[in-house]
Amino acid sequence: RLNRRTVMECRVLSIQSHVVRGYVGNKSALFPLQVLGFEVDSINSVQFSNHTGYAHWKGQVLTAEELNVLYEGIKLNKVNHYDYILTGYSRDTSFLEMVVDIIQELKKANPSLVYVCDPVMGDHGAMYVPEILLPVYRDKVVPLADILTPNQFEAELLTGRKINTQEDAIEVMDLLHKMGPETVVLTSTDLLSKHGDKFLVALGSQKLTKPDGTNSNQKICMDIPKVDAVFVGTGDLFAAMLLAWTHLHPKDLKTACEKTVSVMHHVIHRTITYANDVAGPGKRPSPAQLELRMVQSKADIENPSVVVEAKVL
Amino acid sequence: PIPAPAMECRVLSIQSHVVRGYVGNKSASFPLQVLGFEVDSINSVQFSNHTGYSHWKGQVLTADELHVLYEGIKLNNVHHYDYVLTGYTRDTSFLEMVVDIVQELKRANPNLVYVCDPVLGDHGSMYVPQNLYPVYKNKVVPVADIITPNQFEAELLTGKTISTEKDAVEVMDLLHAMGPDTVVITSSDLPPRLGDRFLVSLGSQRHVRPDGSRTTQRVRIEVPKVDAVFVGTGDLFAAMLLAWTHHYPNDLKTACEKTFSVMHHVIQRTISYAHDLAGPGRRPSPPQLELRMVQSKADIEDPAIVTEATVIS
Repeated sequence: RLNRRTVMECRVLSIQSHVVRGYVGNKSALFPLQVLGFEVDSINSVQFSNHTGYAHWKGQVLTAEELNVLYEGIKLNKVNHYDYILTGYSRDTSFLEMVVDIIQELKKANPSLVYVCDPVMGDHGAMYVPEILLPVYRDKVVPLADILTPNQFEAELLTGRKINTQEDAIEVMDLLHKMGPETVVLTSTDLLSKHGDKFLVALGSQKLTKPDGTNSNQKICMDIPKVDAVFVGTGDLFAAMLLAWTHLHPKDLKTACEKTVSVMHHVIHRTITYANDVAGPGKRPSPAQLELRMVQSKADIENPSVVVEAKVL
Repeated sequence: PIPAPAMECRVLSIQSHVVRGYVGNKSASFPLQVLGFEVDSINSVQFSNHTGYSHWKGQVLTADELHVLYEGIKLNNVHHYDYVLTGYTRDTSFLEMVVDIVQELKRANPNLVYVCDPVLGDHGSMYVPQNLYPVYKNKVVPVADIITPNQFEAELLTGKTISTEKDAVEVMDLLHAMGPDTVVITSSDLPPRLGDRFLVSLGSQRHVRPDGSRTTQRVRIEVPKVDAVFVGTGDLFAAMLLAWTHHYPNDLKTACEKTFSVMHHVIQRTISYAHDLAGPGRRPSPPQLELRMVQSKADIEDPAIVTEATVIS
């Protein structure tokens, strides 16, 4: 059951997109974190009408300078104290570099701060952000990150290593640890699941320092049912829920991942059922119809029943 | 008993966003989402925090930028809302653009309910530019369905002073004649029956009976005064009045009891916490007085009634 005491006074700074309609970026991260009792401060890196998978989208972006101005306001009031930072999709190198500066300063203010970073760069072999972001992520962002949620493609880009087998995946996660983060979750891979092609394989690795000073490493593997639809905002929800469940289970990546992946399953399942209902028989749901059923999933967010088991490797 | 979720009830909320704290959309979104409403939100500004702190920094949305965001929603054919919610604004062109949008949304859905907090000032003086007053009076209030003025704003909009309960009833009738079928005067200087540690609020709701005749339900609520300045409480009030009038559309008494009770729980939790933080004999600071919103989730979902509304003639 949720231990409220350990979430009390836990303050997150989330720097992500805002959409008027729908659930991506901060819209995807805030409600579930707040429902779990986290105080969430949010800087909106953009304000768009909706995500870019719709036929149309319109809106405004925040510049690196404007981001700095907002941070300055927080700092002038001496409330620049956070337990977590959470970032996701970004398209602008100067913005990302300003984010790095802010995190470095916040880590000086609170050395225990945990930076949860989704290094969004692409998927299925292709980048969907400007290529110039890769060196910024690799050389500046990832070294500061404490928890990292790359997909297979992003993990390969960051380490320069291909993943063809589970052994490769483990080596890549170890390389990522060396770059900075103590917790790495490969959110999806092309590895063959032992349950067949209706499942995808995710892996996680967490380095811990024992009380006696020695290191230990927990590695896990999960087979997750695939869904026949394109969702937007699920990666943002994943990173936010991994933040929450690693906070509540700090030395137990197996349980943290089981809960995180289970929440994802419940939300996705509810969403696809609703989308198919609204679209009607034989019709593919539209992006608007496929928006995550976030508020309807409150009970699952608060107390996810575990539906996917993680295997300790 | 917790009411069934407000399935498929979509709200468009056009209010401020603050990185830290609970005013504007930060105050309205979470409680509405917790009650199951789908909330689309347009952020009229993005500030580091509210303007009661020593410092604040950020950016404002222009009327044109607001229009661009709305255009994005419209181009995707998703400009269908059950409610619109607005609050604090400082800019006449922005407010006029809001009116245009509300009018268009009402054409798209004639059943749309516009909940408007006509924020103009308090305790005898305006704290927005004076040229907003004619825009509210002549353009905004006429398209509103539910308004939540304080005594000063109600007097300003009608040109009539409130010295007695009879005056208040006349002012609410004048406001009905301007447009809204539901009026709640959120606070007044009328003498409370329960003593000077209370303040008096009043509400009035006009209905048309099936036979075409009109009836008006009027209520009086006395709420405990609190010795602190809160920011964001008016925004929370308007959002919760939206929610509880949605669940009790012909019962202003119950809607007000629930709304005022939620306010009471949130405020009590906030003031206790703020005093703990500040320490004995010290006045809490604005950061310490931020509403304890996420901690009040259970009260938001199912508020225990702590204040009774009296039906008056």
